[in-house]
Amino acid sequence: MREFKLSRRLLLAGLIGLAGTKAQAQQMDITRATAFVDKAGQDLVNAINDPRLNQAQRRDKVAGILRSAIDIEGTGRFILGRHVRQASPAELQDYLKLFDEIIIRNLSARFGEYRGVRFSLGRSQQRTEEDALVSTLVERPNNPAFTLDWRVAEINGQPRVVDVIAEGTSLRLTTRSEYAAVIQRNGGRVASLLDAMRGQIAQLAAREGG
Amino acid sequence: MNPPLSRIFGPAALVLLLLAGCATRPPADDPEALQEFRENNDPFEPANRALFEVNEAIDKAVLQPIAEAYRDLLPKPVRSGIRNVLGNLRTPTILIGDLLQGNMTRARETTGRFIVNSTIGIGGIVDVGRRYDVHGHSEDMGQTFAVWGMGEGFYMFVPLLGPTTARDLTGFAIDVYTNPQSLIGQGYALDAWNYTRIGMTVVDTREALLEPFDMVRKTSLDPYATLRSAYRQRRSFEILNKDGPGGAVAPAGGVGFGQSVMEPQ
Repeated sequence: MREFKLSRRLLLAGLIGLAGTKAQAQQMDITRATAFVDKAGQDLVNAINDPRLNQAQRRDKVAGILRSAIDIEGTGRFILGRHVRQASPAELQDYLKLFDEIIIRNLSARFGEYRGVRFSLGRSQQRTEEDALVSTLVERPNNPAFTLDWRVAEINGQPRVVDVIAEGTSLRLTTRSEYAAVIQRNGGRVASLLDAMRGQIAQLAAREGG
Repeated sequence: MNPPLSRIFGPAALVLLLLAGCATRPPADDPEALQEFRENNDPFEPANRALFEVNEAIDKAVLQPIAEAYRDLLPKPVRSGIRNVLGNLRTPTILIGDLLQGNMTRARETTGRFIVNSTIGIGGIVDVGRRYDVHGHSEDMGQTFAVWGMGEGFYMFVPLLGPTTARDLTGFAIDVYTNPQSLIGQGYALDAWNYTRIGMTVVDTREALLEPFDMVRKTSLDPYATLRSAYRQRRSFEILNKDGPGGAVAPAGGVGFGQSVMEPQ
């Protein structure tokens, strides 16, 4: 079974190589996806609960872990959706840079508050051919537990998080609606979204004090 | 649900609706924009956005401060007790939902919890069922319609009620109508009781949403659009009965804010 899978993957890789296209998402192995989420989650929990770190250090550490675990470019493109094609190359480049900063800042700020957090793997299930959904349970002192699902895809041969789903609400779907609304309400201009994102980063930076 | 308020907001909503008009449909030669328009299914978007702003103003001036004071002044066990009582009082609505959806296991759970919590749990103050791992769940007529295969209809934002759809708002009206507490008798005491219950439900629900609301206001470039998307996703999650382990019975039913109502913090 394993050999078959391997050879199929090789065959697939060969075919893709022949076709000369760049494949981003390949089939995601559920065991690998689970191990990946487990590792990334434990790293996050350790950083959040590390008493030797001050708040700024903790935020940097969490940001570093998130940056290596999330497929920021792919997720950013998914969220921009149909507007990717409207954007000029320079705009797209700007957008991906701004998106990286916003997503990392927002998630680090949110996870950074979870002192004393514990995290365990729930039931895991394969969803589609392309990615796996790994379910986890997040517990905090004096707070009820909640489920957090991680959508994991194989990006250039490595498992990467492409979405987090808290109690049924997908971050990338919600953000896609948000960004689409900003563009649509400003005459369909991607530049208006970039302005709004710059404004938000300035606000977030002011609140964090740097 | 609250006659004086609906008397104020009903006409106001109508005026705003007429003033704001309808959303502009994208041109037919842009199929992707057209598809997005259909998926949003928000034909009264300008009016809805105006009502959303009205709600934001009321919320920041009145509801949020009350919810914060409520959390600061009352200790957690008291707030837990209040939430449990309100959840227990929602039993008729939940049971009707379980039965109409043909889910006998959940109907038995709902009935068992009501009996145990109302007696041993002293009128619903203590969620005894939960301690025996029989967790509460929410149902409402909107969810039942969905299980029956009805589409959600267009999106709406109603001040004080929040995000909803044509289907869910219809369901909500039926839930209010079929609630035994709004049927039995008349009189000053009963009116006072109903107003108290409704008022407490609003305060308790808003308290549960303090953090999520804060987060959306802080991080979203378009809170209206974020809420619309989160509401739809959360509703489909509720309709499929996929609630997580930390969930409690939401006193106001599904609040659809992208999270379940949990024990107070």
